[in-house]
Amino acid sequence: MSTSMSEKDQYKNRIELLQGTLDMLILQTLQWGPQHGYGIVQALRLQSGDVLQVETGSLYPALHRLERQGWVQSEWKQSESKQRARYYRITAKGKKQLASDLGRWERIVEAIGSVMYVKPKESES
Amino acid sequence: MKWFPSFGFQQRKRELQEEIDAHLQMAIADRVERGETAETAREAAAREFGNIPLVQDVTRQMWGLGLFEQLGRDVRFALRQLRKSPGFTIAATTMLAVAICANSTVFSWIDGTMLRPIPGARDTGDLVSLQRGERNFSPTPPFSYLDYRDLREQNHTFAGMLAYRNDWIALTGGAQPERAYIANVSANFFEVLGVKPMLGRFFLPEEESRPGAVPEVILSYSLWKTRYAADPALVGKSIEVSRHPLTVIGVAPEGFVGAAPGLRDDLWVTLDPLGNDGWRMTHRDWASLIVIGKLRPGVSRDQAAQDLNTVMHRIVAAYPDDHLGDNRITLDPMWRSPFGANGYMAATLPILLAIAGLVLLLTCANVATLTLVRFVARRRELAIRQSLGANRMQLVRQMVLEGAMLSTGAGAAALLLTTWTSKTFAWFFPPNAAPIRLNGTMDYKVAIGIAVASLLAGMLCSALPAWRSSQAPAIEVLKAESANVSGGSRNRKLLSALVVAQIALSLPLLLCSGLFLRTLKNLAGADPGFEQDHILTASVGLSIAGYSRDETMVIRHKIMDRVSALPGVKVASLTNWIPMTLRRRSVDAYPEGYVTHPHESLQVYHADVSPRYFESLHIPILEGREFTPDDKDKAPMAVIVDQTAARRYWPGQDPLGKRLRVVGDGPLFTVVGVAKNSTHMFVNESPEPMIYRSIFQEGGDETTVQVKTEGNPADLAPAVENAIHEIDTRLPVFDVRPMRESTQMASIFAVIESALAGMFALIGLVLAATGIYGVVAYRTQMRTHEIGVRMALGASRVDVIRLVLLQGLRLAGIGLVLGLAFALGLTRFIARLLYGIGANDPVTVVSVVMLLGVMSLLACYLPAHRAMRRNPMTAIREL
Repeated sequence: MSTSMSEKDQYKNRIELLQGTLDMLILQTLQWGPQHGYGIVQALRLQSGDVLQVETGSLYPALHRLERQGWVQSEWKQSESKQRARYYRITAKGKKQLASDLGRWERIVEAIGSVMYVKPKESES
Repeated sequence: MKWFPSFGFQQRKRELQEEIDAHLQMAIADRVERGETAETAREAAAREFGNIPLVQDVTRQMWGLGLFEQLGRDVRFALRQLRKSPGFTIAATTMLAVAICANSTVFSWIDGTMLRPIPGARDTGDLVSLQRGERNFSPTPPFSYLDYRDLREQNHTFAGMLAYRNDWIALTGGAQPERAYIANVSANFFEVLGVKPMLGRFFLPEEESRPGAVPEVILSYSLWKTRYAADPALVGKSIEVSRHPLTVIGVAPEGFVGAAPGLRDDLWVTLDPLGNDGWRMTHRDWASLIVIGKLRPGVSRDQAAQDLNTVMHRIVAAYPDDHLGDNRITLDPMWRSPFGANGYMAATLPILLAIAGLVLLLTCANVATLTLVRFVARRRELAIRQSLGANRMQLVRQMVLEGAMLSTGAGAAALLLTTWTSKTFAWFFPPNAAPIRLNGTMDYKVAIGIAVASLLAGMLCSALPAWRSSQAPAIEVLKAESANVSGGSRNRKLLSALVVAQIALSLPLLLCSGLFLRTLKNLAGADPGFEQDHILTASVGLSIAGYSRDETMVIRHKIMDRVSALPGVKVASLTNWIPMTLRRRSVDAYPEGYVTHPHESLQVYHADVSPRYFESLHIPILEGREFTPDDKDKAPMAVIVDQTAARRYWPGQDPLGKRLRVVGDGPLFTVVGVAKNSTHMFVNESPEPMIYRSIFQEGGDETTVQVKTEGNPADLAPAVENAIHEIDTRLPVFDVRPMRESTQMASIFAVIESALAGMFALIGLVLAATGIYGVVAYRTQMRTHEIGVRMALGASRVDVIRLVLLQGLRLAGIGLVLGLAFALGLTRFIARLLYGIGANDPVTVVSVVMLLGVMSLLACYLPAHRAMRRNPMTAIREL
């Protein structure tokens, strides 16, 4: 295999760093309807105002893993531009997962927020 | 877990490729729409996507491995692990191979005998052999021709029913007469067995009892090949059998050797081929046929027996005088048919297989011990793999796979070994007078047996240790210092249990072999009631070679005279039967005025003997006289009975002068003497009545000369043979051998049992001893540090020895107690095979327990001694 181990590991590390968040973002995107991989990338980019650029090296492994976990289902369909593509659809199990991911995300944001926005005076007392 | 993803693997790879292509196409389309040129759009999209093969690779990893990929990886890993410890791998594989081979060897013998009762026949599972009257281990042929024909024609449960009887004949006509085993068979013999002729044809229904027809003969493949040079034009030609011309009508296919399991027929003729055996064909009291039936589909043995007994009941009611005694018919499947060798096989081989099974269990316990120790040594590796995300099932699967690899290797070795050991069964049978054809077979059934045994053994030796080892909490193992952890208390318990199991399993092995060996010794030492040493026997074919009755009598006298005159010969006599050669000769006896009890068998053993028979065999005549040269043709018919016959027929009376008939309407014989009881077939038989007639009065179909010699009887063999050939060079002389050699047949099964049980017990003893040694040594080594501390704190060497010894002996003690209970429960299954010794013989039990105890003590003492001699300071430092 031509790919060196370190390069592969890099990808893996990125997946791991993003894992929880990326899963949540994908599931959230699919809330609005079935979508293919390219569509998900575009949607996330648009929704985030060009801030979130998902690597394909993270996206496809994530999609296939989500499918294996039963959180999404896929099927081949024609797109509007007559392109045959694999569409992913969120399952009931996926919706539950999304809800719990979201809950956890909110707690983390709150926790980080409370650390970051501590008022100096209060901390001195 | 997905089970068969590998079938869809290529498909999924293609789909992933397509998915990525679609992604790129859409990206390019978007860019072109935004005004980029096709070329730059493609480049940009590709750049944006990144390394396509890498994305594919990482994505594929998300699918999880399929069963086969996983298995392939696990197998490679297991092989790597086994290669790392060659000592363990070789030892475990060898032990398992030996144990599996022990089982497969015995099984191949069962396969070659009991499971293949009639080689060459079809559907032997539907065949049953019929027995009439009291069930007997080695019955005589139970049916007369007329009774057989009625049973065959009036039953409703059989698709066919054949009958046969065997005899020796001589193939005359060539330069030298050759003895052959012939079977007189019913016309449907081959049809019922489903055998098709290789050349010519078999008998037609109308030929069964057609008198005066041209006598016909069918040859076995091997006889056709050896004596007639595989002549393809032999069919239709005439050959000479006992000086009678017979026309060859067919040759049986290769491998088919008749219907008696374990015996070999050389040729077949109809029931009365020469038309000179009318008596046998018309008298219902002359039972000489062995009958085998083929059950109709769906009919059970019980139903068939009921059906036959209904028919038999009618026959007995119609001809009561010809059917005195017990007439109930019982049926046996061919694997344990009492006619032929399978009755003996069925009594011996399954028990040996069970004992071999114990050896395999014991070996598994031993290998499991080694495996557990090995897994404990690898616990850090296991813990690391666990913390890297391997779940418990994966670990167990991996470890069990290592066991499976071992046992597969062992199974392959056993398979190779068995191709050879299966053929060793024939070694047990010394040269003897019977056409015995017994050996093991190595076929697919044995191969399947080996596969199953290896699989089970692999599971047994690895599943338990694997399950235990996978339980260790990873964090603790990784934190703990390696020397401090002696495998955890659970492992210790499992190790102890395995040691106890090994001792408990080896005890019954030792006990069985002890009992069998004592039995063999008792059999060898038993007094059969006649002299076996310094006796040479030689059989001469007279009537079988076509000599007339008168010629036979003359030649017999000549043999007696010439052989007696040989230097080195003390006494010579004639007989038609040699005791203790697995040969039962019996007739129905009708003592005058004796009223039989219901179901009482009329059968008595009989032999036709010459004057001085009792003298040469040292059988005392208790009352009356021995036969004299005057007991010949014209003289009154004389009979000598043994004590059992005398007591049974004339209790409390003087048997001399009493009379009896042999066969319902035969002549009356007068008792002239009473001989002491002697052994007929087996030393451990229950005494059955025996009668002797004069060989010069009664025709006696066979002639065997018995010579009492001064020196080694074998030395006289050429001289005796010469003396007989001086009378007539064409006389076939065969089975010339010392009597000791012939009578070995009576203890042949005891020899087989004790040889195998002895071998198995030896394996068991070695395994048990190494097992307990290994565990005690291992544990002592693990406690080196602790022992060092104890010694530094003032414990004496004796204390250390006691510490180590006690721990081993406690296990040995528990094992011995459990094993004893186990063994005493098992020995009753072999009680039937023992002689002169109880199944729970205290002396044997105590010696076996002592032997195992001493071995255990020794096995524990070695590591204890080593621990004691260590310097406490180095012991403490050694972590």
